[in-house]
Amino acid sequence: MRPIYNIICAALVAVVVAVVPTRSHAADSATTARASWDAGIEAYNAREYAAAVEAFEMVVTLEEASADVYYNLANAYFKLGQQNTSRPFAGGELGRAVLNYERALKLDPTHDDARYNLDIAKDYTNDTEAVPESFIVRLWHSMAGLMTTNGWVIFSLVVLGLALAALCTYLLNGNVVVRKVAFFLSLILGLLFILATALSLTQKGAAEVDNRAVILVNDTTPVHASPDSASKVIREPSQGVSVEVERREGDWCEVRFADGEKGWVRSANIEII
Amino acid sequence: MMRLRHFLLVLPLLMLSWVASAQVSFTVDAPALTALGQPFRVAFSVDAQPENGSFAGPSFADFDILAGPSVSTGHSVQFINGKQSSSYNCTYTYVLMPRESGTFTIGSASIKVEGKTYTTKPQLVEVIAENESAGGSAASSTSPETSIGKDDVLLRLKVSSTDLYKGESLRASLVLYTRVTVENIESLTMPPFDGFWSQELTFDNAPSREEYNGRVYETYKITELLLSPQESGKIVIPEAVMNVGVQVVVQDKRSYDPIFGGRQVYRISRELKSAPVTINVKEFPAGAPQSFNGAVGSFTLSSTMPEAEIEANSADQIELTLSGTGNLKFITAPRIAFPESFEVYDTKVVDNVKLTTTGTTGSITYTYPFVARSAGTFTIPRIEFSFFNPETQSYETLATEPFTLVVKDDGSGTATTTPSSSYNYGGPMRQLDRDIRFINTGKLPAKALAPFILTPLYWLVIVVMVALAIVIFVVLRKRLRERSNTVARRMRHADKIAVQRLRMAERYMRDENRHAFYEEMLRAMWGYISDKFNIPVASLTKEKIREELYRRNVAETTAEQFCEVISRSEEAQYAPSATGEMGDIYAEAVEVISKIESAVKR
Repeated sequence: MRPIYNIICAALVAVVVAVVPTRSHAADSATTARASWDAGIEAYNAREYAAAVEAFEMVVTLEEASADVYYNLANAYFKLGQQNTSRPFAGGELGRAVLNYERALKLDPTHDDARYNLDIAKDYTNDTEAVPESFIVRLWHSMAGLMTTNGWVIFSLVVLGLALAALCTYLLNGNVVVRKVAFFLSLILGLLFILATALSLTQKGAAEVDNRAVILVNDTTPVHASPDSASKVIREPSQGVSVEVERREGDWCEVRFADGEKGWVRSANIEII
Repeated sequence: MMRLRHFLLVLPLLMLSWVASAQVSFTVDAPALTALGQPFRVAFSVDAQPENGSFAGPSFADFDILAGPSVSTGHSVQFINGKQSSSYNCTYTYVLMPRESGTFTIGSASIKVEGKTYTTKPQLVEVIAENESAGGSAASSTSPETSIGKDDVLLRLKVSSTDLYKGESLRASLVLYTRVTVENIESLTMPPFDGFWSQELTFDNAPSREEYNGRVYETYKITELLLSPQESGKIVIPEAVMNVGVQVVVQDKRSYDPIFGGRQVYRISRELKSAPVTINVKEFPAGAPQSFNGAVGSFTLSSTMPEAEIEANSADQIELTLSGTGNLKFITAPRIAFPESFEVYDTKVVDNVKLTTTGTTGSITYTYPFVARSAGTFTIPRIEFSFFNPETQSYETLATEPFTLVVKDDGSGTATTTPSSSYNYGGPMRQLDRDIRFINTGKLPAKALAPFILTPLYWLVIVVMVALAIVIFVVLRKRLRERSNTVARRMRHADKIAVQRLRMAERYMRDENRHAFYEEMLRAMWGYISDKFNIPVASLTKEKIREELYRRNVAETTAEQFCEVISRSEEAQYAPSATGEMGDIYAEAVEVISKIESAVKR
């Protein structure tokens, strides 16, 4: 599906294996990941963005990635692309930067810096405006975005505990006033538990969406009306444009743009977030 | 009537004295240009009464005197708004005929007024030989025309320059050239001066003579404008259109009139059009200084700076005065780079300019008011003003000296001594640019946790929590129930326990054990209330008992009796007392308890 990426990963793994041949694998990867992370930060500070990209990519390859790793990697890609002042992002760095910001946000939707930088990176693409969602949907998603999936789960469990305590108080206390307060408290906390669980599930659903992709090409990608290179070219998105993959036909993917328009693009030109 | 006559008699005397006191002017009026074979007038006029026969004319050696000197005098008195003015005029006129072409001098004439001799300045007259085609009508130009040629009446738009820089000024005058008698101007359509800023000039509208295409014309200036091009490139001023009425004299050959000569005078209307004029407006040459703002001309700059030491929060001003000739009205105020802590107000512009034929001349004063808000030493950098000088074809820059200003603290506390460069006085913070935020440094963050929700552990936690709650509930409920059960039993059996204790007391009574009897009695009574109403013995008082009994609708007398029994038992416990009393107390206690029992049950 993504052969170049796989080759790079394989090469990096080979390097890792060659460099640290003796220790046990699990300890190895954690140590190498830490070293790569530090090396990446150092390279980034020294404006050696190509080296920073390589180092952060290795952390990703070692499966030690968190939102921050993807965020740093995306920043390194973005800066690397900007360093080429004559032809910025000529090597497809913008697409990679957008992809990794999206990945960081998929892992941690509350990552404020990633969202800010993605916004800036999107300014360099010709991405379309998303179809505006209804107020309720936007409210729901912005509420869900306040915490991560696990944050909401922990919150919901705490609320559940409190609700049960309130329920016990209602059932056991002899004082009428205390019973009334406890009853309503348990009712509210129970509803809050349901809400928090639903928000957590929303966040989980967003994190598990696997049909979102980013266009990764140097200049523009022709988007065809049907999975056939002879068909009409209906759009020419730049690198870094986000799409949703609807279905696949051979090595073609049907993608939907943010504004709702659909078209067919070669699978090699996109990468799933 | 008499008064008026007296006044009229006095009037000439008054006027004479006024005339005598005025400056006498003696002038010559002669055309600067005339054609060969064409007579012309030379008039000497004086505005005061000359002495008789004191006039001596010039010799006129190069001309033939056709007539003259003929004397004409005029005298007028005017009253305007009660103000009296009078003028006197005496003119000596010659009619001369040039003999040959060339430039000749009309010599000075002299005249005596009240013993003083005045002379005129010599005057140059140019005589030209007109070309052949025009020659025929030349001789008759002073006499009425018999026909009008195409070139006998012309309208020309004369411009002082056709090649100039943007912002420079040119003079454009619309002139009527005529060799025939023009009766009147019927209409005049001025051309639109698109691309120019135009101002009307005041001009001398006296007729004059001018040579054009080898012929001499009488010229009348219709209008004169000062034009300043506002854009570069070739600008065409379109034609002006004027309708004039011209006199034509026709000799009637058939009816010769011996008295009037048989000549008929006709008036015909003729439309005149001036030729369009193309003005080439040049763009400024390259290399304009930074402070160049379109000023063209020749200027000088002077400045008035505030005192070198001022107090903070006090108002002061810088004054710049720009004087010279050029497009003064279009000059924007030079910029002054005030320190940032200075509050600068709108620049006031006062101009004192007048239009002249070469452009706008005068001075403009710019006033820059400011308030220094913070104390410190500030430098107002040199103020530059650049202009393009079309005469030297170069840019010139005027500048003031840099000025150092010490702002003293006024003691109000609002003035802060801060370095002026880093101090931003008020205003919102501006976003200058945007870039991605910096990477996260520090330790490698832990690997992202998988979502916990809906995993077996999650369900386990939920189940455990609910189970725990149920367990806690069950345990607590059981304990509560047990506690409530004992209470109920004790309440149910309160009377029985009391009966048991009373029996025990009865035994002590029989044994004559006073102390033990009263102790048992008290225990029975306190214990009864405690068990009956689920109140710990320790917190029981007689008042509490009364309150509890009252709440349970037991008669007040009964409650009182109960407390009485307790009091008496307490007193009797340690006091030596008769044995018979024990029986009374016992009987009373049994009675009151049964009373309470029945009351509470009910």
